[in-house]
Amino acid sequence: MRPFDYVEPRSVDEAVALLSRGGERTRLLAGGTDLIPRLRRRQWRIDRLIGLRRIDGLRDLTLEDGVLAIGAGVTLEELAASTTVSDVCPLLAEAARLMASPQVRALATIGGNLCHASPAADLAPPLLCLNATLRAIGPSGGRDIPIGEFFTGPGRSALRDGELLVQVRVPAVEGRGVYLKFSPRRAMDLAVVGVACFRSHGVATVAVGAAAPTPLRVPASPDEAAARCSPIDDLRASAEYRREMVRVLTRRALEIVP
Amino acid sequence: MTLIGQRIPKLDAADKATGRSRYIQDLRLPGLLEARVLRSTVPHGRIVSVDVSRAREAPGVFAVLASQDIPPKRYGYAKDTTALKGDRVRRIGDEIAAVAAVDADAAAEALDLIRFEIEPLPAVFDPERTLDPGAPLVHEDRGSNLVRTHDYAHGRVEEGFARAAHVVEGTFRLPAQAHGCLGPAGAVAEWDARGRLTLHDPTQIPFLIQRDLADTLGIPPSDLRIIQPTIAGGFGARLDLYPHEIISALLARAAGRPVRLAMDREEDFATDPVRPRTVVRMRTAAAADGALLAREADVIVDCGAYVSWGAVTPIVMMHTMGSFYRVPHVKYRARTVYTNTAPTGAFRGFGNPEITFAIESQMDELAARIGIDPVEMRLRNANQPGEVTPQGSRITSCGMKECLEAVRERMPPPGTRPPGGRPLLRAAGENLVASATQTETESPSSPAICPAGRIEGTEPARSPLRRGIGVAAVFHVGGGARIYRSDGCGAMVKIDDFGKATVVVGATDIGQGMETVAAQMAAEELGVPLEAVRIAPADTDVRPWDVGVHASRTTFIAGNAVRAAAKDAKRQIEAARTALGLPPDTPYDKVVRSEHFRDQGSLVIGRAYFDPPNAMVDAENKGNVSAAYVFGAHAAEVEVDVETGQVRVLRVVAAHDVGRAINPMYVEGQIEGGVMQGIGYALLEEVILREGGMSNPNFLDYRMPGPQDMPSIETVIVETNDPSGPFGAKGIGEPPLVPVAAAIANAVANATGVRLRELPMTPERVWRALRAWADVEAPGEICGKE
Amino acid sequence: MRHSIAMTVNGRRTVLDVEPHRTLLEVLRDRLDLLGTREGCGVGECGACTVLLNGRAVVSCLVLAVSADGAEITTIEGLAKEGRLDPIRTGAIQCGFCTPGMIMAAKGASVLEGNLCRCTGYAKIHEAIAQSASPPAGRETTSA
Ligand SMILES: Cc1cc2nc3c(=O)[nH]c(=O)nc-3n(C[C@H](O)[C@H](O)[C@H](O)COP(=O)(O)OP(=O)(O)OC[C@H]3O[C@@H](n4cnc5c(N)ncnc54)[C@H](O)[C@@H]3O)c2cc1C
Ligand code: FES
Ligand code: FES
Repeated sequence: MRPFDYVEPRSVDEAVALLSRGGERTRLLAGGTDLIPRLRRRQWRIDRLIGLRRIDGLRDLTLEDGVLAIGAGVTLEELAASTTVSDVCPLLAEAARLMASPQVRALATIGGNLCHASPAADLAPPLLCLNATLRAIGPSGGRDIPIGEFFTGPGRSALRDGELLVQVRVPAVEGRGVYLKFSPRRAMDLAVVGVACFRSHGVATVAVGAAAPTPLRVPASPDEAAARCSPIDDLRASAEYRREMVRVLTRRALEIVP
Repeated sequence: MTLIGQRIPKLDAADKATGRSRYIQDLRLPGLLEARVLRSTVPHGRIVSVDVSRAREAPGVFAVLASQDIPPKRYGYAKDTTALKGDRVRRIGDEIAAVAAVDADAAAEALDLIRFEIEPLPAVFDPERTLDPGAPLVHEDRGSNLVRTHDYAHGRVEEGFARAAHVVEGTFRLPAQAHGCLGPAGAVAEWDARGRLTLHDPTQIPFLIQRDLADTLGIPPSDLRIIQPTIAGGFGARLDLYPHEIISALLARAAGRPVRLAMDREEDFATDPVRPRTVVRMRTAAAADGALLAREADVIVDCGAYVSWGAVTPIVMMHTMGSFYRVPHVKYRARTVYTNTAPTGAFRGFGNPEITFAIESQMDELAARIGIDPVEMRLRNANQPGEVTPQGSRITSCGMKECLEAVRERMPPPGTRPPGGRPLLRAAGENLVASATQTETESPSSPAICPAGRIEGTEPARSPLRRGIGVAAVFHVGGGARIYRSDGCGAMVKIDDFGKATVVVGATDIGQGMETVAAQMAAEELGVPLEAVRIAPADTDVRPWDVGVHASRTTFIAGNAVRAAAKDAKRQIEAARTALGLPPDTPYDKVVRSEHFRDQGSLVIGRAYFDPPNAMVDAENKGNVSAAYVFGAHAAEVEVDVETGQVRVLRVVAAHDVGRAINPMYVEGQIEGGVMQGIGYALLEEVILREGGMSNPNFLDYRMPGPQDMPSIETVIVETNDPSGPFGAKGIGEPPLVPVAAAIANAVANATGVRLRELPMTPERVWRALRAWADVEAPGEICGKE
Repeated sequence: MRHSIAMTVNGRRTVLDVEPHRTLLEVLRDRLDLLGTREGCGVGECGACTVLLNGRAVVSCLVLAVSADGAEITTIEGLAKEGRLDPIRTGAIQCGFCTPGMIMAAKGASVLEGNLCRCTGYAKIHEAIAQSASPPAGRETTSA
């Protein structure tokens, strides 16, 4: 890795100030599981990292007024293990459990997974189905971003310069959900395609990952879902195959949560 | 016998489990520099200029070398390359310049300061196109991309095909497989003031490196000492002299300090001497009763940009072609070809998994045509003890039949599970899909969801899951393999004043357990407890000659050498007792001390050299290359999701004739590890090339099986007590990998009716094959179309 | 700029100056000579560098040393002192490069998913872990 400077702010405001002053070559560090490999491969050049681990509240996980509020710094392990999450939205806990390995899940955070904005981010399809809202704080204050508007392209999100994701808010809605992650290996693998489905009061919502430039909500019908996504050919699979897997997995997901 | 056949833990197990073993990355030396290499990013080009002057000025830098700074010495089998490339680069990753600096970061920064210009040239990547007229030449001076042709024949193959009742034909495509040793490659070089080089190197061939590297550096081989640290996996990856070994030595000489050139994971992958991409066009003929009549293959092997062991795999394939099953008429031709890709090398099995995939796939196709059980088909053609194959292999012990019967007994057809003796597989012509779904009644009834979205427990009719069983056998060398004029190994056994024995043996332990097996054999022969035996360090200054660890030869050859050396030591002890008039039960320590404390005493050092009774092939490529052969059979049960193409291996039964299991725990270890690598080869692993460079050089994209990807493996050890093996033992290192892909492909065909002839059988490939098959309307046939 | 950090490593309080771009793995190996923690990939994909960070198994190649300030770290050398090394008995060790990471994961992770082994085929590793979870009665399992 190339040398850089490191700071650990104690509050969100301090972090926002550091971030907006820092410019392009300043980055936030959460679990580091996306960031460090990139720095090691010299894909990014940075001057300064802002470590988030000492900021109070970013790791809180609470259920209040029918909303599950997950701090951006909550780790995948905590998501997978939390009885609150398992009670309110088991779908999310299940998706977290299917990611990476325990040694990575102990570090990786929900905020990092969303802000990295990979088309294959496994937490995105469930959160899209669950209609989550992302709370960001920036130099001009806080705002709530509906998750449907958060992802703007591969590696790009709606966060503005100087903005920090602080909380993921998931409305506690009754229903049943499932996340089908399709990958050749049973663990330690990225999704070739991921399909989440959530059915509440008879209405099904479906979202897909790795099947378009961003994680995407699609119609709750196998054929329409396949038609709506716009996958690419890459190392992991061809576009044609991905589209077909969206069809197959959407059908299965809808069957599993009748 | 007391120690032979015991499950004795490795001598170094405690060191390894406590993190005390030292690998090449762990070596600490005063003043040690770290090196990095500048590599080509174009697959083929003319080097116009390389300017290292700014790098030389960079902070922390001790030495920078480009080709003009080193002796222009070519090396390798074909003497077709230099450690740093001068006029041409011929693949992405070719070494252009190298830096040694105080740490790896400083070296990397200095690399960025090297200015170079390369004029790109047209390149060729596809081994099937590289011989086309007008294809770019990888080595212009050679005038062709053809490296070598291997031809072999016995009988009259056309006659065999003419008489056949059934002929099957197909083209099989095998991918490049990377070794993925958990510890990346590296070497540490240090020169002393007298110009003597010590190379710390986790190589599999210390004595060959000594010769080849000395020649490349222009020093006498006796001025080169190789010390092997603990080796983090071999599997063939460390079987040749590689640029990093030469470069570390050159940098250390230039810097006047010890230098480590250790690769990171990406570099290790990008320079790995992979199992070569191989294309096998094969046809096989059988009589109506299942007797094989003829087998013909035309093979293309990717050599990569420079000749290394990959170019030798056709020889191993040739032996399997000529000797696996009794086939009266065989014809074989293999062409090894240059491409602008990484040089290919040796990987466990060494050509045999490639050719066996084709042979064993066609055995099933023939069995289906004829309408007999696949195991029966194999038994009808099985090799026999005492047989001399037309190719010249003298088969001594042979447990092929026992292995086939063992897997049949343990893996009856799904749903039936009879007490044995029933056919392993359904005969062809039955409705395969319908009978496969019957097995779904065994599934749990409540739906359960697995990560990949498999649905278990839905009604059989609608389930997308199909189960099937496949079997495949293996023939391999197990008593050395004479590919050099020497196939020998030396050993000494020293008895010290305290009655302890030190075994000094040329062979290399790459984790397989050679040192413990050698200690077991020596202790057994000397009649002392295992604790009384130690193994001398892996150092060419100390150890005697050995060709290297390859071809599953170590237990057989080093074992025989150690056993004979121990016998010799024991004989000396007995002679000393007699000469000194000591009672016959005088303990070793007393005998040795009596020798050391008398006038004109002597040492007790047993020694032996074992070179097996085998031969190099003659001009017709015939001859008995190994002193013993090994056999095995695997059965695999798979479940195929016909909608996604996902194949899951549920169970593997692996039976191997090992002659005698000196340590059953290690035999199982070799079998389980081989099956794992075989499953990777069959289903997951593939070096994906972009412009000839590896585009998936990491463990997320190059998928090796992980702890959750393995089925249950039942190992069956068949003991045939080879007459020339040490305590009856034969080799087992490579064979377990060999039949795995074929057994799985046969199981997939059994489950779905579709035959895959290309590896790995990724979900997408299987899905495409299933879809292509669904498009043609002839589902009665077991195999899909070409 | 160097940062001063304090960690408890294998029970010993350790204070040192580190550059922010150094990983915990690098610091353990290069500064503290704890060489049992290994780099198989450097990017979180093999598990060879697994250590316990505040009791949890993590891949030390993805942790910046500065962000381990204040943490309690256990490496294989720390566990070795406890002397429970069952892989020895079961043949779970071949080349041994993966072994410390396996042992650390067995100790501090819920399931074995993130550790690659290229030698064994895992069967004997699973067996060893099961055995070390319930050592046979009346038998001291150490030999180190
Ligand atoms: C071996 C391995 C396996 C993996 N497997 C999976 C997998 O199966 N599925 C999957 O989806 N991902 C996987 N990943 C990717 C990664 O682990 C996850 O995306 C993880 O959730 C990222 O979280 P983090 O905290 O580590 O992010 P970091 O690396 O710390 O940060 C990622 C990015 O987000 C930014 N960021 C972090 N927090 C905030 C914030 N609060 N506000 C604004 N920006 C922020 C950072 O600046 C950085 O650009 C894997 C990674 C590895 C190394
Ligand atoms: S080195 Fe850390 S996971 Fe591979
Ligand atoms: S024992 Fe070699 S990698 Fe596991």
